[in-house]
Amino acid sequence: MQKLIIDASKKSISINTKELFTYKDLFVILAYRDLRVRYAQTFLGLLWAVIQPLFTLLIFVLVFGKAIKIDTGGVPYPIFALSGLSAWTYFAFVMNQAGNSIVGAQNMIQKIYFPRLIIPLSKAVVGLVDFIVTLLFMAGLMLWYQFAPSHNLFFLPLFILLTIIAALGIGIWLSALTIRYRDFQHIVPFMVQIGLYATPIAYPASIVPSEYQLLYHINPMAGVVEGFRWSITGGSSLEAVAYVSFGVAIVLFISSLFYFRKVERVMADIV
Amino acid sequence: MSDTAIKVEGLAKLYKIGAPKSSSLRESIARKFSFLSRDKEEASSTDYWALQDVSFEIKRGEAVGIIGKNGAGKSTLLKILSRITEPTKGRIEINGRVASLLEVGTGFHPELSGRENVFLNGTILGMTRREIKAKFDEIVDFSGVEKFIDTPVKFYSSGMYVRLAFAVAAHLEPEILIIDEVLAVGDAEFQKKCLGKMSEVAGQGRTVIFVSHDMQAVSRLVSSCVYLKQGVIVAKGEKNKMINKYLEDINPGKNELAYVDPILENKPKITAIKLETSKPGNFHVNADCLKVWVNISIPYRIKKTCITLQVKDNRGIACLDFSYFDTKLVCSDAGTYQLECVFPSFRLYMGRYTITAYFAEPPGGEFFQQIENVCPFEVVMYGATRGDWEWQPYTTIYTEEYNWYIAESSTILIPNTN
Repeated sequence: MQKLIIDASKKSISINTKELFTYKDLFVILAYRDLRVRYAQTFLGLLWAVIQPLFTLLIFVLVFGKAIKIDTGGVPYPIFALSGLSAWTYFAFVMNQAGNSIVGAQNMIQKIYFPRLIIPLSKAVVGLVDFIVTLLFMAGLMLWYQFAPSHNLFFLPLFILLTIIAALGIGIWLSALTIRYRDFQHIVPFMVQIGLYATPIAYPASIVPSEYQLLYHINPMAGVVEGFRWSITGGSSLEAVAYVSFGVAIVLFISSLFYFRKVERVMADIV
Repeated sequence: MSDTAIKVEGLAKLYKIGAPKSSSLRESIARKFSFLSRDKEEASSTDYWALQDVSFEIKRGEAVGIIGKNGAGKSTLLKILSRITEPTKGRIEINGRVASLLEVGTGFHPELSGRENVFLNGTILGMTRREIKAKFDEIVDFSGVEKFIDTPVKFYSSGMYVRLAFAVAAHLEPEILIIDEVLAVGDAEFQKKCLGKMSEVAGQGRTVIFVSHDMQAVSRLVSSCVYLKQGVIVAKGEKNKMINKYLEDINPGKNELAYVDPILENKPKITAIKLETSKPGNFHVNADCLKVWVNISIPYRIKKTCITLQVKDNRGIACLDFSYFDTKLVCSDAGTYQLECVFPSFRLYMGRYTITAYFAEPPGGEFFQQIENVCPFEVVMYGATRGDWEWQPYTTIYTEEYNWYIAESSTILIPNTN
């Protein structure tokens, strides 16, 4: 017999991972719902996952590849840019979706109990499908350029994991903040736009002046994108400063869980 | 193992009213730094206790109703019990798996097919994938939409939508079921199906908490009630007592509903009509004793007092006629009289009724007065069950006592077809 005690005088702030696990079916089906709905009644379907980054890539190729002629260390520019862009697109998608997820699920939150964290977490899975499609496109591009991936490819899963952590960390923070302050709904598109240029996607991080390197790497995606690219295209090993980004990503993720837990308590009342 | 399903102690819930639900960042920052500005900011919100010091205990297998007017705190209590929101004070102990139904079809997505929505909604309500798979055919059968199960629900009629949503909810098998007034939606037939399914659940020895202000449903489904008023429990106990209390409260001006008119010096007339119904607040239980009083005043001797009263239902159909003809001429002289009519068992069917009265002399004489649609009252079927099929409005005008027997040999002549 399941026994549950709700006591207003004892507020626990621990994250109940065991409970999250019992709701795994819900996690799966919410992700499935979003995926189904995302491309329902579209003619091109999953192709849309490639079309958007493709056009950004085209602009990057024209501006940074042809006009400015960025030094990529011998890597064909489209591969160089797409390796960064794919991770960034995934990050931006999950951050945006997770950020708006709680406000978007208002009705459910006011009608039924479940660990609310499931909602932003499930968005990470939704983005993965687009991410995989972009990576397949990337593989095709590498075949076209006859560009062999480096041995660092072994580390790619690690950097994918870091991308997920960075995206969820910010996404969960935003989802909890948006409940109280709808301002964040307006801030997110702004962050995505600035982030596209404040992250080494179109250019290598090495062109940033050394005195700004530390500041630059406070952006968690700065280091993650570099690592991501490094594991695909190889080249010199990662700068130590990249680890600052990894640290920021992990700290954001862990702190987001606690902040979310705090807001979860009053979520149904204020959403 | 204890036999307590739910134990609530000193529960309270505070809401800040007037406080913005989700404020803007600027306001919030301004508030944080408000100590800098000299002018004192007025408290922008007031405290509102939606619930205060609520304690009760529900035994395993018990069906309990939570009744009260709008704003009494029923929904807040429900939300706390189903863990949607947390209490401000107090402690709750819940033994067993809970499923709460605050609406049907939570999480339904219009783009998804009926099949996908069954899985989605079932999972949201707390079923596992395997449980849903096992019951899927049953659910679809119950809903009656099997033909369209692979069609996106956005193409469903609203009736189909609700049926499918309810079918999922009806197949939940929790130890404790918490139900809000979800039954308020849908047509009569659907409501009937819901109620039937729910009393089935209650009959299976599960604990049921039912929140409603539909006393008919409450009287059927539960055995005891918690009566909430302005966030406080005013009474708890046996359902009929609680229902009476509630009815008294919602309809306090019982006497005002009687018809009263001043005496005239020059004209015979009815000065009052009053009913004594079996429940407070002009509610009457079908087959209970009903008393009707009619006061008349007669300034001069008339040929004969003829009083006719009619009971009309809310469609205006006259359902019952009861008359008094003063054949012994005991109240046809000048004076004031009170007539009393007693129905040992008043058998009009459930519904809302009013009285229409006529006062006259016999045919050829004078017609004094006609009073229309006074003394509204409502007949209810509390405590009376009809077996598998529930009472429905307008299926009859009155009820009768009867018994069925199975005859040992057929007494009806069957025509020989040869």
